[in-house]
Amino acid sequence: MNWPVAPILLPLFTALAALFWGRPGVGRRSLVAGSAAAQLAVSLGLVCATLEGRIFVLGLGAWPARFGIVLVVDLLSALMLALSTLVALASVLYAYAESPTRAEHPLRAPLTQFLVMGINLTFCTGDLFNLFVAFEIMLIASYALLTLEADDWDIKHAFPYVGINLFGSALFLSACGLTYALFGTLNFAQIALRAAPCADDPRLWVLALLLIVVFGIKAGLFPLYYWLPNSYPTLPIPTSALFAGMLTKVGVYVLLRIFGTVLPHELAFAHTLLAVMGGATMLLAVMGAIARNFIRGILSFHILSQIGFMVLAIGLFTPLSVAACILYIIHHIVVKSSLFLIGGVAMRLNGTDDLERMGNLWKRTPWLGALFLCQALSLAGLPPLSGFWGKYLIVVAGLEQAQYALVAVSILASILTLFSMVKIWNGAFWTGSDRVPVRTSDWRWRAMTAVVAGLTCVSLAIGLGAEGVVQIAIEAAERLLDQHAYADAALGFLGKTAANPIP
Amino acid sequence: MSLETAVLVGVMFSVATYLVLQRSFVRILFGFLILTNAANLVLLAMSGRPDGKRGPVVLDPSAPMVDPLPQALILTAIVIGFGVAAYLVFLLYRLFLDQKTTNAADLYEEPESNS
Repeated sequence: MNWPVAPILLPLFTALAALFWGRPGVGRRSLVAGSAAAQLAVSLGLVCATLEGRIFVLGLGAWPARFGIVLVVDLLSALMLALSTLVALASVLYAYAESPTRAEHPLRAPLTQFLVMGINLTFCTGDLFNLFVAFEIMLIASYALLTLEADDWDIKHAFPYVGINLFGSALFLSACGLTYALFGTLNFAQIALRAAPCADDPRLWVLALLLIVVFGIKAGLFPLYYWLPNSYPTLPIPTSALFAGMLTKVGVYVLLRIFGTVLPHELAFAHTLLAVMGGATMLLAVMGAIARNFIRGILSFHILSQIGFMVLAIGLFTPLSVAACILYIIHHIVVKSSLFLIGGVAMRLNGTDDLERMGNLWKRTPWLGALFLCQALSLAGLPPLSGFWGKYLIVVAGLEQAQYALVAVSILASILTLFSMVKIWNGAFWTGSDRVPVRTSDWRWRAMTAVVAGLTCVSLAIGLGAEGVVQIAIEAAERLLDQHAYADAALGFLGKTAANPIP
Repeated sequence: MSLETAVLVGVMFSVATYLVLQRSFVRILFGFLILTNAANLVLLAMSGRPDGKRGPVVLDPSAPMVDPLPQALILTAIVIGFGVAAYLVFLLYRLFLDQKTTNAADLYEEPESNS
């Protein structure tokens, strides 16, 4: 079955077609939007197929799995694919609603598709070096998007992002080399089989720490996150929603994959380190959010704070907490992207995103206010919205492990999250003097709000249908932690040799 | 041979870290270039001692062959590193044109208007 390659090839071909199409126009826009919808459809199909217990394995070039690169799509990968293509579709549609064709930068659509290709390859790959290549595709596209429509001030804040990611790439490359020296393979499944007996080997500990640093930079963990809160607000709104929703979550996904499927489960010190780093991240980042007074800045710090919750759940490392992490990722990607988009609509209506100079939005546009309230309370974790269930499961898992301090920190961080969401609500929606203008004459904000409403419906469905989503997350966590089933499936691909011809 | 490579890689990583933390754009750029090459050298060292082995080309099937995989990996890494280095040069040049300085400390000194 060749389906795992579709979420990678579709964005690639779309990007190339959009590049050669030339000037942005209605035709090019419908091509990109159609492709984004097709990617979402393929990913949802993969989710349905993997829910039944299948694991898709595709050996590129029909080499046997031991020698060639394999793409492996299990339930978690399929879920992440569906989320990334959903956010990409929303971002594309929002960009179309936001600006007319003549104001669109001709390179934005192709670069966004290259970015989606890199993200999807990260989720599909079953090979460490291929993961490095996927990261580089994603990072180079993100560097280009970050500086594409930037002014002087933006460029200045792009530099730390590029610098720290270059450092991360060099460390990742060294980690690949050390893995190859230790295990003689870069295939996830084979590393899992060969690493299982040497959980006590200090060399494996060093490798685990190196991987935590590499993916911690990418995810934005506590000592390594200073690049994020200044660089994300400089992006155009649709691109920033895609970055905020997906890029840091790629780091979390890889941490899940590496510690759940690849490395042995006995690395207790690494798990404890992850849990403590997660706790520190959620508290310090939420304090950073309180100190900010413009919407995108506040939301950027909240990305980090929420990453802390997910990494804390990985660090607790029980099947329940891993399921909680997966549930939290599902909730967070949808909510965070839609909050960035709502911030964009509010910015357009008020002409600024400085909370001091905003206001009156609730009076003039109550629907937008309702959408914001729904997503903001979900982010803070009020029942029955989607954020509550993830946090509830994390707290339960933490109490089971008797990690009372970390549980207390996570509840404190939730309350502070609620506080800073109320700050946005008060500043932009509830209050405001009569002199604050609300420009509702332009029809475009209605189309933009419609896109956000679609994402909010998905998020509400996750919250109200929590029973089913929790079941899926538990299922995904069980499959993720079942190293033998993964190895059997991935190494079962024998390729096209004389002994086993592929029909 | 392995020990010398290890020492060389260590020296390169420390020199690169030192340079990246400097203020001058040119030093930062060279720091990143050395960093990429240090990582490439780590990869190359993973194919083991080359003594008495032939290159990964089939001419004389009797002698043992050096492991070809790290060399394939390093080729990919060099190409990616080259592209990123070209991007970094242009980013630093654009920063110089915008801010009229090549001192990284000057960039972030002034009070930010928006935060």
